[in-house]
Amino acid sequence: MKIRGVFSMSIINRLKSLFKEEKDIIEKGTEEKISKSVDDTSSDFNDPIVSGTKITVSREASFSRDSESGTIELKFKKDVHTIEEESVEDNLPAIEEDKSSNDEEIPEVEEAPAEESLDVEENTSSEEEDIDTDDEVESAEKADDEEKDQKDKKRDNMTLLTDKELLTDANRDPEFTAEFIDAGIETVKHCFQCGTCGGGCPSGRRTPYKVRQIVRKCLLGLKEEVITDDALWMCTTCYTCQERCPRSVKIVEIIKKARNVAAHAGYMAKPHKMTGVFVMNTGHGVPINDAAKALRTQIGLSEVPATTHAFPEALEEVQKLCKITAFDELIGYDEATGGLKE
Amino acid sequence: MEIAYFLGCIMPNRYPGIEKATRILFDALDIELKDMEGASCCPAPGVFGSFDEETWATIAARNLTLAEDMGADIMTECNGCFGSLFEANHMLKDNEEKRAKINANLAEIGKEFKGTTNVKHLAQILRDDVGYEKLASLIEKPLDLNVAVHYGCHFLKPTDEIGIEDQAENPAILDDLVEITGAKSIDYKDKMMCCGAGGGVRSRDLDVTASYTKEKLDHMSEAGVDAIVNVCPFCHMQFDQGQLEVNERYGTDFAIPVFHLAQLYGLAMGLSAEELTLTAQKIDAAPALAKALGENAK
Repeated sequence: MKIRGVFSMSIINRLKSLFKEEKDIIEKGTEEKISKSVDDTSSDFNDPIVSGTKITVSREASFSRDSESGTIELKFKKDVHTIEEESVEDNLPAIEEDKSSNDEEIPEVEEAPAEESLDVEENTSSEEEDIDTDDEVESAEKADDEEKDQKDKKRDNMTLLTDKELLTDANRDPEFTAEFIDAGIETVKHCFQCGTCGGGCPSGRRTPYKVRQIVRKCLLGLKEEVITDDALWMCTTCYTCQERCPRSVKIVEIIKKARNVAAHAGYMAKPHKMTGVFVMNTGHGVPINDAAKALRTQIGLSEVPATTHAFPEALEEVQKLCKITAFDELIGYDEATGGLKE
Repeated sequence: MEIAYFLGCIMPNRYPGIEKATRILFDALDIELKDMEGASCCPAPGVFGSFDEETWATIAARNLTLAEDMGADIMTECNGCFGSLFEANHMLKDNEEKRAKINANLAEIGKEFKGTTNVKHLAQILRDDVGYEKLASLIEKPLDLNVAVHYGCHFLKPTDEIGIEDQAENPAILDDLVEITGAKSIDYKDKMMCCGAGGGVRSRDLDVTASYTKEKLDHMSEAGVDAIVNVCPFCHMQFDQGQLEVNERYGTDFAIPVFHLAQLYGLAMGLSAEELTLTAQKIDAAPALAKALGENAK
């Protein structure tokens, strides 16, 4: 916490000086000033303490866009998070002080925290646009602008929704959402979509599994979207997301519940059904085999373990329970063949 | 002290050396491991838990009643079994509505869940009930071995339910237990990452699972370890069998032998590789064993 205090003090000072600088730029509007400011922030870029102001971010944004280095762009993104995590709260009181000491700066200062508290990512993107208009004087940047226009077109084509992709209330099934609440997973409602879950998800970095999106869809009642998506089954239930969730959402429970609904709607992989078949036939998901029997005997253990393998009446109990809960019907168990129907 | 010993599936049916080592270790500790006769699959959380919660809880509750009838706490040395049994026990003790529903099912086979047993993990018992000092006194052959500890997921997590004292994202319990044997726990990148086998992913999409395992093996190799130590036969199988699957898919030549914690203690207590069924595992443990026991063999 001490370190955080030091950081915030430097950030406050920095904020003050930078706001003044910004004001000067706007008033004079000279090329010289702008390029100086850009140079300043370019060097600031390497200064870890300075990363926490709105203006610095916007300058860095333009700087990183001009650069071709992917690593710099990464740093930029990281810095944006730093602001969100470290400086937003601490800056607010300091800005209040600023307000009382310098009336002229009020409009600008008020604007800054309001935007920041809304959405940092949006904030930085709008800043990028601001900079573009400010920097129009720089003829050297025209080439970059053209390049950017092309990028924008490409990006727009990628992200614009078509009518086909639009989800409406007709896609929502309130009963689907109710299933989570009824199962005691009320925390599905607590999710504020921060993305911490996806950030730590080992499946998310190698498969189309987007845990944050699934949680959202479950809350919205987008049943078909959730249960027909194969990615739902890419979670290894490692709990990394749930451990890190700042809202204590029972994420793994949500995923398992969504899978239950999917399974009952007929979305089950054959290998999964087969594990169920093994349990119904032997009481074990991984039953014993001859090699294991030989190994057990060699090292002085009983040939088969004292489980359902050794107690047929115990196996009958397991089978009976699976029938009571209709698990046999759920997986399509064929009692006659001891396999799957069809 | 008596403990109801829950075997599960993979340990007794694929890696019986883990069971053997555990029985010998607990003999030496003067703790009686009592068989839970007629126990079944825990059942597998990735399939039963993901398909139908009621079936999962009913089969798990049946296993729990076996220990209740024995008047003992349960020990398991599989994270999957631990996750399933602990979670079901916790849920049924906590939620009267669900307990009534599950007990209605169990009544059909003349059983009732009463909520009188506790589910414990092997590592938890070794640390909290046995203690490090007593364990250290059993070590006959200190192991000269650099080890990558793999915790697995359903051991310490979810922390708000599992009562094992530690930090799930920066734990110490297994590193401590490993180092009592003389082996050294080597830190490696993304140590707490999943092996990739859980949640039904291994049976459904082996490529995804292999991709997880490769990432772990890459990081373990970079750290320069002689062996992997785990506390879950499913993770154990994933690192043993799965290592071949990774090599097949990625053209790699990983060959890091895999020991369950119980097997590591077996080695340090002087048991042979044959008794621990290490010789039957996919990845040859001989080079690591030669190093581990080198000084003692002289």
